[in-house]
Amino acid sequence: MNTNNNVYTVIYTTVIVVIVAALLAFVSQSLKAKQEANEKADTISQMLTSAQYGTKAEISGLGNAAVLEKYAQEIDKAFVIDLEGNVLRDLDEMEVYSPKQLKRQNYNIKGGPNKTGEPELPVFLFKNGRTVVPIYGAGLWGPIWGYMSFDTDLKTIGGAYFDHESETAGLGAKIKDDPSFQQEFVGEVADFSSKNVFEIVKGGAPKDAEGKSVVDNKIDAISGATMTSQGLDAAIDTWLGAYAKYFMGNAPKKQHCGKCGHHHEGEEVESNEVEE
Amino acid sequence: MEYLSLFTKSIFVDNMIFAYFLGMCSFLAVSKNVKTAAGLGLAVIFVLLVTLPINYLLNTYVLAPDALIKGVDLSFLSFIVFIAVIAAIVQIVEMVVEKFSPELYSSLGIFLPLIAVNCAILGGSLFMQQKDFLNIGEASVYALGSGLGWFLAIVSLAAIREKMAYSNVPPALKGLGITFITVGLMGIAFMTFMGISL
Amino acid sequence: MDAKLKETILNPIFKGNPITVLVLGICSSLAVTVTLKGALVMALSVIVVCGISSLILSLLRNTIPGRVRIIVQLVVVAMMVILVDQVLKSFEATYAIDKQLSVYIGLIITNCIVMGRIEAFALGNKPWPSFLDGVANGAGYGLILIIVAFFRELLGSGTLFGIDILNRFGYVPNNLVILPPFALILLGCIVWVQRSIQKDLQEK
Repeated sequence: MNTNNNVYTVIYTTVIVVIVAALLAFVSQSLKAKQEANEKADTISQMLTSAQYGTKAEISGLGNAAVLEKYAQEIDKAFVIDLEGNVLRDLDEMEVYSPKQLKRQNYNIKGGPNKTGEPELPVFLFKNGRTVVPIYGAGLWGPIWGYMSFDTDLKTIGGAYFDHESETAGLGAKIKDDPSFQQEFVGEVADFSSKNVFEIVKGGAPKDAEGKSVVDNKIDAISGATMTSQGLDAAIDTWLGAYAKYFMGNAPKKQHCGKCGHHHEGEEVESNEVEE
Repeated sequence: MEYLSLFTKSIFVDNMIFAYFLGMCSFLAVSKNVKTAAGLGLAVIFVLLVTLPINYLLNTYVLAPDALIKGVDLSFLSFIVFIAVIAAIVQIVEMVVEKFSPELYSSLGIFLPLIAVNCAILGGSLFMQQKDFLNIGEASVYALGSGLGWFLAIVSLAAIREKMAYSNVPPALKGLGITFITVGLMGIAFMTFMGISL
Repeated sequence: MDAKLKETILNPIFKGNPITVLVLGICSSLAVTVTLKGALVMALSVIVVCGISSLILSLLRNTIPGRVRIIVQLVVVAMMVILVDQVLKSFEATYAIDKQLSVYIGLIITNCIVMGRIEAFALGNKPWPSFLDGVANGAGYGLILIIVAFFRELLGSGTLFGIDILNRFGYVPNNLVILPPFALILLGCIVWVQRSIQKDLQEK
């Protein structure tokens, strides 16, 4: 057989390419649902981790089905807001934002040529009183994203979980792999009135006499991962900045606290809704 | 200014060899003397410069979700499309060069088939996909920069290896072993560029 | 099993190891060897891709037009890689690892081991030996990957498979080991050891 004939070459190549493309299209279609389910369960377990329902390993270890079930049990409300803090619409049951959607919203917040519309920012209220919001930005090598949760005062950070695509393993990747870094966020407060809502400081955040981090909006950067830390800092500032009006507008009023002396968490969540 | 910073960044900070360690096979195999190393380096620059913009256009107008037909996401085909474009371009370049400039072909020719399987070329296209360039100009500048970075790296390694021929290396380390270690040390040196924002 | 087949299987694992002797497929060996788990998945993926694409191309070897040989090879390899990537993404257990390996799974396409073995072996041999050759080369590659990953995870994070080994004795993980250049230095040392044992591999 003459395999160097032009017609044969063209036909052969075409046939191979068509067969391969058809096979791949079939496989990709048939596995799509499973892949999306994995991504969704991963996203939800990140949110549950930031809302302090357990460590990431514990929650992911439950398996996809149990993670979704836990989310369905624990989620109180999920809705989308605009930059002014107004509620645009409720999220569908079990609807979450994939990293791809976060990326699109990131462009919308920052503006510029990639902007496709006005930002639509998701807010997730869990039954333990915590409010979870996402963040997204650029690390050293690729995108980084994650979730931060806030206590009912809408200022104190309850927990945080971050993920990344390709940060340096062992250095920048600590934002994901090092629970003690994520633990540093817990108990600190975000300053929504400032442009630097939260700061990750190189060289050390202010410490008290016992060497504990002072309760403020600063924590220590990861040593050896300056760029990832800066990227995370910028991502948090951008996103929490976009949420600032919502958080400030819905935070429990000081006078209200003064009257009853302490927080009545349930009541305050209720009153927030009236204000909306 | 944007272009200039992207250009410098892709040469030094995001160096294909020392930051991503892509294209190592031919980097190690063809760095015994400076002249052949420079030949391969030029070929890599050229092929990157041709394939990356083409892949950029394909990625933006065909493969991206909703790009071709609304609701259709072809991005699972991106590997295969990129590599097919690269292989086809390499083949075409080979034929054109052979026909019009036999001298260039005899000096460059043997490297061209090698380039289709050079990870740096495919890596360039995959990173392009991650980086969200705004237009084809940025993609081309990135291609030129990362190609130049690769060129610089292979020429400097070749120069070191030429000198090393006169050094007294333990017999078992000679050749490949000491080259690995040299590249490792060069990589550590290049890490000083890491994280510089321009 | 006859001696030739045995040779086909054993040779790539030590004497003709793709990484330390043939200098193929270095790129991915650096990036994925930070953890043992990643290295193991990568090794298995390469074995699968290498074995099956060798088999397919060996079956097709008499029909492939000479001028588009490389393109056909790349298309088949790329198809295998995409399949592996899609499958890894679909299982709960492997989803997290696939995320970690991201770009490097794609780069198996240009992993010179796969292409090199197809060019050098599969196109000139019958399907069964080609398949074995592909698998054996993948395994030889995987062996080096796992050795490198063992040292890097142990010294760089003080763990193995994520389980604490050294940290409980007060070991401070060494960040240098985690950086990619150290993988190269480690590879250099592996070559050193291998060539001290097998003197005939030494270069003059």
